[in-house]
Amino acid sequence: MAVSIVRPTLVLFACVLFAAVCQAQWLSSPSPGIPRLADGKPDLNAAVPRTSYGKPDLSGVWRRAADDTHSTTFLASGLGEIPLQPSARELYNRRLAVDGAGRPAERCLPHGLPLDMMFREAPFRIVQTPALTVILLEMFNRFRQVPTDGRSLVPDPQPTWLGYSTGRWEGDEFVVETVGFNDQTWLDNRGLPHSDALRLTERFKRLNVGRMDLTFTIDDAKAYTRPWSVTMKFELLPDTDLLEYMCDNEKWASTRAQPR
Amino acid sequence: MDDANQLQRGSRAMRTPLTLCALVLVSLPAAAQWTEFPLKNVPRLANGEPNLSAPAPRTSDGRPDLSGVWWVRPSTDANGNPGQPRFFINLAADAKPGEVTMLPWALAFVKEQVTTLGKNHPVSKCLPPGVPLSYTAGAPFKIVQTPDLVVMLYEYSNSFRQVFLDGRGLPRDPQPVWVGYSVARWEDDTLVVETAGFNDKTWLDGIGHPHTEALRVTERLRRRDFGHLDMQITIDDPKAYEKPWTALIPAQLATSTDVMEYVCVENEKSLQHMVGK
Repeated sequence: MAVSIVRPTLVLFACVLFAAVCQAQWLSSPSPGIPRLADGKPDLNAAVPRTSYGKPDLSGVWRRAADDTHSTTFLASGLGEIPLQPSARELYNRRLAVDGAGRPAERCLPHGLPLDMMFREAPFRIVQTPALTVILLEMFNRFRQVPTDGRSLVPDPQPTWLGYSTGRWEGDEFVVETVGFNDQTWLDNRGLPHSDALRLTERFKRLNVGRMDLTFTIDDAKAYTRPWSVTMKFELLPDTDLLEYMCDNEKWASTRAQPR
Repeated sequence: MDDANQLQRGSRAMRTPLTLCALVLVSLPAAAQWTEFPLKNVPRLANGEPNLSAPAPRTSDGRPDLSGVWWVRPSTDANGNPGQPRFFINLAADAKPGEVTMLPWALAFVKEQVTTLGKNHPVSKCLPPGVPLSYTAGAPFKIVQTPDLVVMLYEYSNSFRQVFLDGRGLPRDPQPVWVGYSVARWEDDTLVVETAGFNDKTWLDGIGHPHTEALRVTERLRRRDFGHLDMQITIDDPKAYEKPWTALIPAQLATSTDVMEYVCVENEKSLQHMVGK
């Protein structure tokens, strides 16, 4: 079963390793503004940095932490029974039967959310400004915009791959609501499905300089009988940077991920 | 909706240069609601229209604030209808004779693309358009400026560039990438962005001005006033051109719209319908 799942992952790793070797200078640029210990190393246990407007500053390069127990191949781990609707169960079983072959990324399409933020080998950068937070995804070099300028989600938007997001602060938690997804993306790499009714809520809670908890709530009445949540641990990657990872050869990618 | 955005919406519906039309068709169903989102904090005239001639805003550290949604406005035809984005078709559209002198292989390359009607253009295969093509397609781009980092979000390529202002230098002998490695500095009120480390797979424009991995792009970005960003883009590639050359590209602030998602999909299906040698 592992073959077609593992192969693209290995390909990705190969890209990342290759890039890492060649990009040492760019990868080791010190991040400005990080509190440091006496020996110059980042003080990852220091208190949450705050913006001039008093909210936690989430800015930085992040990835899912080494001690996080979730997996890109199974988002719902630890959940017990997945509350799938029958039609979604059927679709999920069909995808499981071919080990997740046919996933959008085979054709250089976005993995979708939350998957695009779960790859440890491809971190993301949060750039937080007062009216707009941007999430730059190393995965396929795509981006998310989270406006915090007071606009509201639109009622019936043209569906998109990464949806339409708005953000607000609830105390020290940054709460991002996203709607307007198409139904083409998968929640994980084995094909846990969602429909275009998906409403994704993300709660970003920075714990200190080095750590952040991120809770994803999947609310999709067409695919699930009730909303469900997973909380993942994220770690700051200080003094390094995103690299460019363009998915640039769709034909090549698709010939290497065939159903068995 | 102001005049600029009227035209913009029209141009998005009509941008069909070369064989790029297949890609554009994919992008047509834009999400109408968020494309009409009036910017806050825009200086306005007595009649309520944005005052695009007001002074450029500044950040708390005194620098010009380039942040905003910008677009390179397509030229208009005799009837005032939006035409094709000319810098997208030919980055050297305004060049005087002798300003852009291609080496023989580069000239041959451009001539070849005339016979193929642009069928071989990398973007026809959904490959990244790179720099400067991501600016010039007539789709908006967004600049997000912070003191250490400027981020460019391109609707056309659905990808981003990071421009570092934290004092780092360009990497030596980097792994070539599609959008290069960018660092910037301020020269008075002009943000000077230097980019190197490109691969040689992108074209500078639709007609196929090529470049090599030796390409170094210098962008001089100056927000002339509230509504106008002057972009001076210099192409320096001694392996493709006899000397550096520069395009002056004016961008306008889009005051009531946003950068939308534009994912290039199903390219193989589009490509098979394209004509040309």
